[in-house]
Amino acid sequence: MELRLSQRILTGIGLLLLILWSIGPIYWAIATSFTPTPDLMSQPIHFFPEHLTLNHYQRLAGFGTVASNDVTVAAQFRNALVNSVITALAATIVSIFLASLGGYAFARLEFPGRQTIFFIVIATIAIPGYTVLIPLYRLMVSLKLLDTYLGVTLIYLSAFLPLALWLMRSVFQQLPLSIEEAARIDGAGRMTILFRIVMPLAAPGLVAASIITFLGAWGQYMVPLIFSPTKTKPLTVLIPEFSTKNFVDYGLINAAGTIAMIVPILIVIFLNRYLVSGLTAGSVK
Amino acid sequence: MSLAAAAVPARRKGDKGIDGSADARLGLMLAAPIVIAMLSLVLFPVASTLWDSLHRVNPMMAGQPFIGLQHYRDLLVDPVVNESWRNTVVYVVICVVLETAGGIAAALLINQAGRWRRYVLAIVILPWALPGVVNAVVWGWIYNPAFGLLNGLLVAAGLDFEKFVWFNDRTIALFAVSLVHVWRMLPLTAVIVLAALQSIPSDLYEAGRIDGATRRRMFFYITLPLIRGGIAVAMTQSTVAAFNFFDEAWILTGSARGTRPILVQVYLEAFQNLHFSYGMALSVLVMIASLTVSLVYVLRVQRVTRLD
Repeated sequence: MELRLSQRILTGIGLLLLILWSIGPIYWAIATSFTPTPDLMSQPIHFFPEHLTLNHYQRLAGFGTVASNDVTVAAQFRNALVNSVITALAATIVSIFLASLGGYAFARLEFPGRQTIFFIVIATIAIPGYTVLIPLYRLMVSLKLLDTYLGVTLIYLSAFLPLALWLMRSVFQQLPLSIEEAARIDGAGRMTILFRIVMPLAAPGLVAASIITFLGAWGQYMVPLIFSPTKTKPLTVLIPEFSTKNFVDYGLINAAGTIAMIVPILIVIFLNRYLVSGLTAGSVK
Repeated sequence: MSLAAAAVPARRKGDKGIDGSADARLGLMLAAPIVIAMLSLVLFPVASTLWDSLHRVNPMMAGQPFIGLQHYRDLLVDPVVNESWRNTVVYVVICVVLETAGGIAAALLINQAGRWRRYVLAIVILPWALPGVVNAVVWGWIYNPAFGLLNGLLVAAGLDFEKFVWFNDRTIALFAVSLVHVWRMLPLTAVIVLAALQSIPSDLYEAGRIDGATRRRMFFYITLPLIRGGIAVAMTQSTVAAFNFFDEAWILTGSARGTRPILVQVYLEAFQNLHFSYGMALSVLVMIASLTVSLVYVLRVQRVTRLD
């Protein structure tokens, strides 16, 4: 539709405001992470850094250390980064593996209790995590799985599996049945059809479900706060700990935050098409 | 061709019995891991929460005596708990209103962005993809009274916000904390509404134009009715997310009572005061409230979408 000039200007201003609102805080985090600490504590504040420094990142990486506690900061940060990657990847792989097999079963195979089981699994999305965290905590303590990768992965699985299953089922339902039928006439078994024909066709859906699960696990806070207190502590739990009661090291916090943002930002830049399709699956008929 | 077409129904009919039970076995086999995972990691814990909430479970006290509904009776008159409920209701209202209004506005704008649409959409989605904790930490710095970006901008605009403390006044603090959550969740509403907008056939607008309808009338008589289903879905998401509000509130204001949402209250009871079963009873109430709200929405959405 053609817009009048005044309307086009209004739309342009609106879009500009929307963009500023969306990336303003991200810009501010990145700018802060490159600003020397004395500049951060000066008034009036500068909207663009006057001097640039890599000091905060150097302290996180552990070279060019000056203060004695920087060694611990670097070690903690490295561990947390590794933990975040391992737990988010493990949660994604296990969830998507189970959800894609199950999604196919719920979409295509007739078996007793199909509808009921699916409904119950999906209904658990509405159960707030905290209702199950206390018994899960006691369960993990008794199984000695507290602060282990396996324990955290299992809890992430219970949290992210329902949504992944829902996405994967709707992906399989949208695939044309005729291809599978043709393969069956040629004598292919169900598993051959699933892995050779259906999975490749469902690849965009698999990517979408994987991205959403990964981002969910990458950004989780309250689960690791309870289940990953020390050895398996991820970035999300470590970063807030950088602020103590007396002194908040904003340069360091924003540098660590920026690193935690890089993976999601890359995903949005390169895989946004899949992300959007996953987010809107099921919401529009 | 005709031979194959004739062979298909015959073959399928003949195999149906064998095929059917083989399918059922395979289906159960593929669904079994999910059933086991959900039973042991969600449904069993929920049952155990219900059971334990009727007992006194406290790692600091010996024994787990049955106390019936005592916890629930205590919760109803617990002033701290009631204050947290009030805060959560405030959060839900602020977040749902701002996310819905802002999300629809954002979707309409993105829809008008023409060839820039893809890039604007990616930028708008970004906040949703970031870890909520990191957002909260960054916004905490933005809200900093002395060196924060917000006060800096307001002072630069000539307003008297020098060293203004955003978390002193309870009402302002509730808004300030909500805003961080809105920043993260608004993209989801925008994306869902945008998808609904794009599913509207453009010939409807053509027809409207031929009939001489104004843009405003077309918005109210074509656009709005057709994106109602999408808006309802988005509002469900917003409500459930605001109900489960934890990360931003915990990072920005910690255990401060004036801004403490109900889940922070559960966390404090269970994992700091170690009143396990009291926290469990409270989490049962939260679950009932959340499920009820979701159910009301789901039923409404079904009605709305059936009308479409």
